[in-house]
Amino acid sequence: MQGNTACAEGALAAGCRFFAGYPITPSTEVAEHMAVKLPKTKGVFIQMEDEIASIAAVIGASWTGARAMTATSGPGFSLMMENIGYAAMTETPCVIVNIQRGGPSTGQPTLGAQGDMLQCRFGSHGDYSIIALSPASVQEMFELTVKAFNLSERYRVPTFLMGDEIIGHMRERLTIPDSVEVIGRKKLDPGTMPFKAGGDDIPGFPVFGEGYGVHVTGLTHDERGYPATTNPKAHEKLVMRLVRKVESARKEIADYRVTSPDAEQVFVSYGAPTRTVHQVLHDRPKEEIGHLQLRVVWPFPEFALSEFPEAKSFLVPEMNLGQMAREMERHTDVPVIPIPKLGGELHTPDELVRALEGSR
Amino acid sequence: MKLVIDSDRCKGCNLCMLVCPYRIFKEGKDQNERGIIIPELDRPERCPNCRLQRLYGRTVCGLCQMICPDQAIRWDDEKENEPQKVVIEF
Amino acid sequence: MSFRDWYRIDRLPTIYCVGCGNGTVINCTLHAVDTLGWKWEETVFVSGIGCSSRAPGYIKTDSLHTTHGRALAFATGIKLARPDLHVVVFTGDGDLAAIGGNHFIHSCRRNVDMTVICMNNWIYGMTGGQGSPTTPRGAITTTTPYGSGEGVFDLSALAVVAGANHVARWTSYHVKELTRAIQTGLETPGFSLIEVLTQCPTAYGRRNKLRDVAETVEYLKDHAILLQKYNRLVQEGKPVPEDMFTVGEFIRRNRPAMGVPP
Repeated sequence: MQGNTACAEGALAAGCRFFAGYPITPSTEVAEHMAVKLPKTKGVFIQMEDEIASIAAVIGASWTGARAMTATSGPGFSLMMENIGYAAMTETPCVIVNIQRGGPSTGQPTLGAQGDMLQCRFGSHGDYSIIALSPASVQEMFELTVKAFNLSERYRVPTFLMGDEIIGHMRERLTIPDSVEVIGRKKLDPGTMPFKAGGDDIPGFPVFGEGYGVHVTGLTHDERGYPATTNPKAHEKLVMRLVRKVESARKEIADYRVTSPDAEQVFVSYGAPTRTVHQVLHDRPKEEIGHLQLRVVWPFPEFALSEFPEAKSFLVPEMNLGQMAREMERHTDVPVIPIPKLGGELHTPDELVRALEGSR
Repeated sequence: MKLVIDSDRCKGCNLCMLVCPYRIFKEGKDQNERGIIIPELDRPERCPNCRLQRLYGRTVCGLCQMICPDQAIRWDDEKENEPQKVVIEF
Repeated sequence: MSFRDWYRIDRLPTIYCVGCGNGTVINCTLHAVDTLGWKWEETVFVSGIGCSSRAPGYIKTDSLHTTHGRALAFATGIKLARPDLHVVVFTGDGDLAAIGGNHFIHSCRRNVDMTVICMNNWIYGMTGGQGSPTTPRGAITTTTPYGSGEGVFDLSALAVVAGANHVARWTSYHVKELTRAIQTGLETPGFSLIEVLTQCPTAYGRRNKLRDVAETVEYLKDHAILLQKYNRLVQEGKPVPEDMFTVGEFIRRNRPAMGVPP
C-alpha cells in the first residue's frame, strides 16, 4: 500500500470523521482515499476552496467533537499557518498531515524534502507549542497517524504528521491491526470555567451543541473564554500554559528508537533518511554504529541524546540544510555534524559512510 | 409596565428619539456620573407597550428597544397601585 | 423568552461606540432567533474579525470568534460535522468582501445551510477607519484621504449570482423589516445572506459629514429604495436617483443545499 493511503487508513482507524482538504501534490492521495472512505462510514469529506479554508473547516468540525484532519504540502502548509496559530490559541485538537516537498515556494512538487520542520514548530506568529511526528515507512505512516490523533485529542493541540514525498508515494507492505488504541478528549465538567486547567494544564473540552455556552476566541482570553486583550497577566498566564502543557509532557509524548547505545558515532534521523541509515547499519554489521530514530520530533526529546553516553559525534542526515541539527546543538556538547541533502533525492549509503568516516 | 432606560448601559446616542412614534424620548440635559447625557422620558405612560403588553401578551411597537444598540431600554413590572389611605383631619 | 435573554448579561455594555448600528443588528438577529423558538443550546454563532465579529461574545450560545475573513470556512466545518446545529455567522464588509471574498463566493456556491449577517458599514471600524471594498466612491477614509477611487462591491448581487438560496438587504433603521428578513433567512434551507447597512459614526461618519448618529440613520432611511420600486422605475424608463441603494429581498429559491439536517 502507498504511504499516503496508509495515512488515510490510519486516520480512519483512529476514528477520524471529518476531512477537509485541497488538492496539492504530493499529498493528494490522502484526500482521495478519504473521499472514497469517509462517506461510507458516516463521516464528512469536503474539498474546500483553499488550504486556509480547509484548516478552518477542520477546526470548526473539531469544536463539534469530531476527530478532524487535513492533508497538504509545502505552499498549502504555508497558507495554513494563520489558523494553526488559532488552533494552538484555542486549544483545538486537529491533525495536519504535511507530505513535504522541495521548497521554497512551489519548488519541487514531485520530490521529497524535510524543509518544513522548523516551520511546523514556529510557523505561526507568537509563542506556542505543538507536537510533530515523522514517519519513516508506510507502516509508520499508519501507526503515527493514529498516534497523532491520540496526542492531539489528549493534549488539545494541533498535531503534525511530517511525512515527505518519498514515504508518501512509496509502496510497502502494511499490516493493519484489528483494533488500535484510541484516546478521546477529556470533556469539560459542567459548571467549570471552560479554559481553566487543572494540574496537567489541559482544560476539559466543551463540545458545541451540548449546552456549555462557551465563547471561543483567538484573542487573549481569560479562563471564562472572554477576551482579555489588554490584560498583561492574563496573556502571560495563557501563553505560558499553552507552551507548558506540551513541553512539560515531553517525556510522555516522546517516541524514539535507539540502536547500539554504546556507540561513539551516532546517526540521528527522522523520516525518509532513516531508511538510508538502516541500509548503512545493515551493510556494516561488524561496526558499532549508533542510531537514534526520532518518531516524535517536536517537542524535541533532548533526553534521548543521553541514551548514548559514549557518543563522540552525532551525525544528522536531513533533507534540508540542518534544521533539526540546529536544535540538537542547543542540547548537547557533543559535536553535531549535519549531513544536509537538497534536490529531492534521498542520501545514498555512500554519502553517509563518507560522513561517518570523516567524523572519526 | 414601566418604561426604563438603563443608565449603566445607555451611551447616549439618542436613536430612541428618532424612532419613537410618540416622541416619548426627549434630549436629556444633565450628564450622569459616567459623563453621558441620557434621554429623558416625556410622559412615558403614553407608551402603548406600557399599557398593552400584558393585555396582548406580546411586545407592542417596541421599536426603541429593537433599535437601541446598547440594550438599554426595557419595561419593568410595576407594583399594583396600593390603595392609599387618606386621612382627613378636621 | 425574550431576545434579551439571549445576551450574556455580564458582558454588557458592549465595546461598540456611541450610536454604532451593530447593537441594533444583534437585537434583530436575536429577536428572529427567539421568535423561531430555537434553543440556545442548539445554536452556534460564528464570526471573523472586526467590530461586527465581536457580536457572538455577547450571546450566550456556543460561539466561535475566528480569524479574519475565515468565519464562513469555520462555519462550514461546524455545519457539516453537526447538521442538527443552527449556524449563524456575523461578519462585516471588510471581513466578508475583502479578506474573506473567496470563502464567501464558495460558501454561496456550496449553499451550505447557514445564515450570514453582514454588517456593512462601508469601513474598517476596529482598525480606525480604512477604506473597504464597499466604501462608496469619493468617501474619505484614512487610506483614501483624497476620496476613494475604487469600485464598490454589491455584496447582495454577488451572493445572488454565486448561488445563495436567500439574499436580502436592509439597513439598521428598518428594524422590523430586518428582523423579518433574518427570520426568513433562518428558515430557508441553504445559504442565506442578510446584508445590513449600518452606521459607523466614529470611523466613517466623522470624516464624511455624517457625524450625528440620528442624521446618519436618517440618511440610510432616505437613501434606501425598495427593490420593487427600483425595478419599476427602471422598467418605466424613469430616472433613478444616483446615490440610492436598493433594499428588500433579492432572491429566495430552493437550490440543492449542503448540511441540511436529514
